[in-house]
Amino acid sequence: MTENAITVQSVSKQFKIHHENTLFNRFLNHVHNKKDTDELTILKDVTFDVKKGEMFGIIGNNGVGKTTLLRLIAGIYKPDSGTIQTSGSMIPLLELGTGFNPEMSAVDNIIMYGKLLGFSDKQIRKRVHDILAFAELERFADVKIKTFSAGMYTRLSFSTSIQIDPDILLVDEILSVGDVSFQKKSFDAFMSFHKKGKTVLYASHNLESIKNLCDRALFLQNGRIGHIGKPEEVIDAYTRTLSDT
Amino acid sequence: MNIIKEIWNKRLLIQTFAINDLVVRYRNSILGFFWSILEPLLMLTILYVVFTQLFKSQIENYPLYLLLGLIMWNFFSRSTGMSLTSLLSKAGIVTKIYFPREILPLSSCITALIMLTFEMIIFFVFVLIFRFIPPTTIILLPGLLMIEFILTLGISFPLSIFNVRYRDIQHIWNLLLYAGFFISPVIYSTTTFPPKIRDLFMLNPMAQILEMSHNAVIYGTLPSLFDITYLSSVSFGIFIIGYLIFRKYQSKIIEEL
Repeated sequence: MTENAITVQSVSKQFKIHHENTLFNRFLNHVHNKKDTDELTILKDVTFDVKKGEMFGIIGNNGVGKTTLLRLIAGIYKPDSGTIQTSGSMIPLLELGTGFNPEMSAVDNIIMYGKLLGFSDKQIRKRVHDILAFAELERFADVKIKTFSAGMYTRLSFSTSIQIDPDILLVDEILSVGDVSFQKKSFDAFMSFHKKGKTVLYASHNLESIKNLCDRALFLQNGRIGHIGKPEEVIDAYTRTLSDT
Repeated sequence: MNIIKEIWNKRLLIQTFAINDLVVRYRNSILGFFWSILEPLLMLTILYVVFTQLFKSQIENYPLYLLLGLIMWNFFSRSTGMSLTSLLSKAGIVTKIYFPREILPLSSCITALIMLTFEMIIFFVFVLIFRFIPPTTIILLPGLLMIEFILTLGISFPLSIFNVRYRDIQHIWNLLLYAGFFISPVIYSTTTFPPKIRDLFMLNPMAQILEMSHNAVIYGTLPSLFDITYLSSVSFGIFIIGYLIFRKYQSKIIEEL
């Protein structure tokens, strides 16, 4: 039996929706005993696990809770009930360029980002060269990144995350950005990352890439798990729900 | 206890945040980091001129009294002011990566502490200029700064978290700071006040800190045991309550960022 990299045990998550209200309206609501907030259930009793070294896909419609699930796993949000366990170092790649400061150079940003993820100065500096090489930005090492094009920015941040070499990578729909050659490159990077026995949790709308990349997948439907299993089955189940409605 | 270990493990991140906040201030300026010395130097010089030449004071060694008070007060107002927006201004990071959120107000306070260090250097330059020989009680100053740091952090925690939900806090707090400046002995001294009124003033922990540091650094008198006990317990009390509030509300309020 292989070890689990991520274990999600009957996790539920609700959000409060705050209705934008004037002070006067809030006062009226208070008088009439109406609430200013609604509860919105995003995830209900979600249970699954990801084995070590697995490439695991998550699909589902917009707003179904994919990002919330990733944020819960990353520890950014706390579940209302249930537990989540992860083992090994983890990088959440929920957005490209998190924490990047446009006023700082590429190298400074790499170091800053590495520190954000809890790596030491030394560990990061060793990798700066590889990161820049992968991103094809060696010439721009000491240029302020506010002058970078969107593509350069994307390459830099993706390269930083993948070269820092965590045990688990949480990826949220980011490969759809960037040009074809970058997409190909990041696809390859994922594969080599995967070959090293690392775990990837990958949320996407790109069913083709889920089918090609993932060992297993799940699809989320109304905050619950619609189906878990082989990517083909999951995609079938998902597309069936689409044609039903 | 776990959280202390977790924060200790992230000390590099705290250092980065604290120093970046400082560096970013002076980005794109020609003098760059020199501003961190030059700015307080000019500021303190202006205040010195205004309060010693325009308003004559009876207070002994008034220029140093004034400078020290301003530096101690600046630390308090900067720390709390920067902590106030620390979570909001880093919303992009907070919602994408996990790290103990305590780090943000903490590193704001450390940024202010670094700025205080620069100002202290200037203070001691003034000490030399005035050919003033500080009394031995000056060794109490680091201890007083530590108490001030704890008090400040204790106030910064709840400010940073509640300002996410209620932006009113930042306006209220700025007003309170403004008022606080005048009810604390920064530009004046309470020694001439009637005892009853003075006791009332001294309930304010910042007034205690200011007076104790004035006494320790300039007049060579030790704080009374009663005062120091009062100040320490109020500061630690505020710290503990502030931190518990932060812990209680942080996970829910983070979701609103």
